[in-house]
Amino acid sequence: MTSPEKQQELYREMLRVAYWEQRLLRFIEEGRTSGFYHAGRGQEATAVGATKALRTDDYLLYDHRGLGHAIAKGVPIDRLFGDFLGTSEGTTGGLGAGLVHIAWPEVGVLGQSGTLGGAFPIAAGAGLSARYRETDQVVLCFFGEGASNRGTFHEAANVAALWKLPVIWLCANNGYSVSVPVAKSLSVPQVADRASAYGMPGTVVDGMDPDAVYEAVTVAVQRARAGEGPSLIEAMTYRFRGHYEGDPQTYRTKEELAFWEGKDPLISYPRRLIEEGVASLEWVEAMQAEVLDEVEQAAQRALKGVKPDPSRIFQHVYA
Amino acid sequence: MSEMSYARAINRAMAEELERDPTVFVMGQDVGAFGGAFGITRGLQERFGSKRVFDTPISENFLAGGGVGAALTGLRPIVELQYADFIAIAMDEIYNKAAKWRYMHGGLFTVPLVIRAPEGAANGAGPEHSQCPEGLLLSAAGLHVVTPSTPADALGLLKSAVRSDNPVVFLEHKGLYSLKGEVPDGEHLVPIGVADIKRAGRDVTIVAWTTMVHQALAAAEILAAEGIEVEVIDPRGVRPLDKDTILESVRRTGRLVVTHEAPKPGGAASEVAAIVAEEATEYLAAPVMRVCGADIPLPQSAELEKFAIPSVDELVKACRSLLDY
Repeated sequence: MTSPEKQQELYREMLRVAYWEQRLLRFIEEGRTSGFYHAGRGQEATAVGATKALRTDDYLLYDHRGLGHAIAKGVPIDRLFGDFLGTSEGTTGGLGAGLVHIAWPEVGVLGQSGTLGGAFPIAAGAGLSARYRETDQVVLCFFGEGASNRGTFHEAANVAALWKLPVIWLCANNGYSVSVPVAKSLSVPQVADRASAYGMPGTVVDGMDPDAVYEAVTVAVQRARAGEGPSLIEAMTYRFRGHYEGDPQTYRTKEELAFWEGKDPLISYPRRLIEEGVASLEWVEAMQAEVLDEVEQAAQRALKGVKPDPSRIFQHVYA
Repeated sequence: MSEMSYARAINRAMAEELERDPTVFVMGQDVGAFGGAFGITRGLQERFGSKRVFDTPISENFLAGGGVGAALTGLRPIVELQYADFIAIAMDEIYNKAAKWRYMHGGLFTVPLVIRAPEGAANGAGPEHSQCPEGLLLSAAGLHVVTPSTPADALGLLKSAVRSDNPVVFLEHKGLYSLKGEVPDGEHLVPIGVADIKRAGRDVTIVAWTTMVHQALAAAEILAAEGIEVEVIDPRGVRPLDKDTILESVRRTGRLVVTHEAPKPGGAASEVAAIVAEEATEYLAAPVMRVCGADIPLPQSAELEKFAIPSVDELVKACRSLLDY
């Protein structure tokens, strides 16, 4: 069971994620940054529910869909804006990360592979490292159902299970790899069906319910910390926006979108918290105002950032 | 000084670094009790235990990418790929991850990873087990690529690679494993990216890598009898490339032959020739010559393989032709 305090924290974090993205989309509309963004609207419960099951010193390799995982792990949101605005305030110091290459080592964010499925071997390596150094850190590796078809998943899943590495494979199954529906790319009904082939537990959870995701990942984290090895969790979710901004979305119906929008965690979750007496309507509204203000302040701070000197492109090629 | 084979020098380098630094570990296919496909890790697991030296499944993407993950999180992995040709299997992990992770994440990480990869033609291993992939990695900004030609260089370069905070691909030539040479006793480090003049001479410069260094030295010996003094430069790697040593030599000799086992197109010899064309054309008394492997996949037959690799005779002829130009 997710505690009431944790539920409030999950809701607040989903708000931060959604409002941050909303503000970013305004930056894109204003032409302040490129539209190279894969919006995460709709998938907040998966990103936040999973990441909030980690400790600060645990590792995160996130995927390209939204920045809910990176935000929930503790990357400062003004710096994330800085990355999109291409200023020296960004985590990459003005190199311009866009969605892809944000990292924040002090909270365990190891970054992202720009090639899909490139994170699998790195996650297994980080898990190997945690065990080698005799810590109880775990690694959370996000990917989509599309990337699960990469051969790298096979290699990494095999060694992680073989050596009982502390890795949680978190598949956010949103039904489409760009335009191709899951039924046309996956040989089995669920990605989690593949877990048994590696001798690890595979679980399917409601990815629109942050409690369900949080609880499933908490179990996997405990298992990983105890030295019992990796788990595969498949969170069933949906992206409300296109694969990219401007995606014509000819591959899906309005009815399908409406069905999933009916499960919007930003609407259904606070409603449930109020019904269950975990939060009052006043608390929910106060939280919305507080987070909106936090995000706007971060956006304003980020707008004051400066663009780097052209010499920036030659920094950090080598140590 | 003591005499040691190239293979033993690589083994000694790993043993010394494993002994010195507890964050160093060795992983690869068959590197454990078996001692490696070429015996290079022999005795290491017995001495350092299976936590520090261990076998992996046949999973090159994991080997290289897992090495990156471990390097990002405080360790110094030495990964053995069984053959350098397998770099092609793990190219995303090497070319996109190891080489670029630090840069694309704003310099927030270092990637102290060493990938050891046995390269080169060695008695008919065939087209997928005999290549020299230096050219493939030439454009991998963020990566260092080193190529020892002697036991002493193998020892010193590998130890430097392990201590480097940059990802290093260490290309050891299979055809040199049994080569013996003098190796300094005690701590021996060779800096990465510094060429070595293996023989000094005033008439022609030969820039050569790995096995071709020895072919070049043999050619120099033959030409010395004719009064032609050849300078043999081993860049000891392709990235970074010590162009200063090469340019300084070419400005003295005015003649340049560049030689490696790999074919000409996209190879390191082309890069050297281009650098000399840009920065030292006015010193040249004759055109630059590349003496490289045939532009074909290597044949499986060991007898035919010989015809695809440059010979001492070709180098001798190339040098003579430059002097006669």
